[in-house]
Amino acid sequence: MNQEEAELISRCQKGDQEALKEIFDRYREKVYRIAYGVVRHREDALDIVQEVFVKLYRSIGNYRGQSSFYTYVYRMAMNTAIDFTRRRKKFTASSLDEEGAFQPPDVPEKRPEAILIDKELEEKVNGAMAKLPEDQRAAVIYREVEGLSYQEMAQTMGCSIGTVMSRLHYGRKRLQKLLKGYMKEGGRA
Amino acid sequence: MKDSCSRPLKLLGKYLDGEATDQEKELVGNHLRECQACQAELNSMKELRTLIATPVEEAARQEDFPWVWQKIERQIRAQEKPSWLQSLRERLSLSPFLRRRVWVPALAVALLVVAAAPFLLKITSSPAAASVVVYVESQTNNVMVYESETGPETAVVIWLFEEPGDESSPT
Repeated sequence: MNQEEAELISRCQKGDQEALKEIFDRYREKVYRIAYGVVRHREDALDIVQEVFVKLYRSIGNYRGQSSFYTYVYRMAMNTAIDFTRRRKKFTASSLDEEGAFQPPDVPEKRPEAILIDKELEEKVNGAMAKLPEDQRAAVIYREVEGLSYQEMAQTMGCSIGTVMSRLHYGRKRLQKLLKGYMKEGGRA
Repeated sequence: MKDSCSRPLKLLGKYLDGEATDQEKELVGNHLRECQACQAELNSMKELRTLIATPVEEAARQEDFPWVWQKIERQIRAQEKPSWLQSLRERLSLSPFLRRRVWVPALAVALLVVAAAPFLLKITSSPAAASVVVYVESQTNNVMVYESETGPETAVVIWLFEEPGDESSPT
């Protein structure tokens, strides 16, 4: 963490909203990528970004610099996104219980075939990601989307590098298995 | 899977992630030149990365966060707007007396004063209310007669002054 960022954090801890705005400008895309990586939906990802920065403003007083600030922000983003999916699952389950199963429209939207295939594949990927256990999903997103190193992932996830490698390995294997038939390269999954 | 694939395959993730040591890189690199199955596995892992990351990158690139900051600001402001109870509490907590928690001993002293008030009033009580009935002046003595109400009974006091102006001792 550089001096400038330390000052920003200090100002934000004193309730300076301008400082929060600067932190927002620095981290909004990173937070958005994590959120989108988890929920795979634009509006939901933007809601999560909003929630993360409000939470950050509320809790930044507890940040004592014991870990890098970006790992603090990443962890908050990931936890918020995963909580969001849990809430969403709960809500969806209860609304389906009340109103019966959702019926997709009979007539699909008219769009070029290529886009349809891409969209289908994207939906398959989204479905496969949703099936991963939360810790494996987090490892896959930190690595494949954010490009964090194993060391950074271990710090962010609060575990050893060995655990990070294990989560990543099993997450990738599971995804390869779930997406078999949709990928050009079959691999060994 | 061939026996020779076992070790390189375990290192494939590290190799892809750029976390392998030089020795491990050499081992995997040499193996990949000979083994098509492991090469396919590496390609599959790369493809998986593209499938996961590309939609996210595209979404992030298109996003200009038009209203997110305004919503954050609004939410923070709304949460900061205190209810009447909170504002009362805050106002009280701003009082220097209450902030220093002087109010605890102050309250104790106030209770003591209230409890001791009847005794204090007895000791330092002023003369009972009195109404003068007659006042007679002469050259040598003055006489004042008044009624004093002490409790349910009324006392008649006759006060004799030896000289005018000397009202210090009733007789």
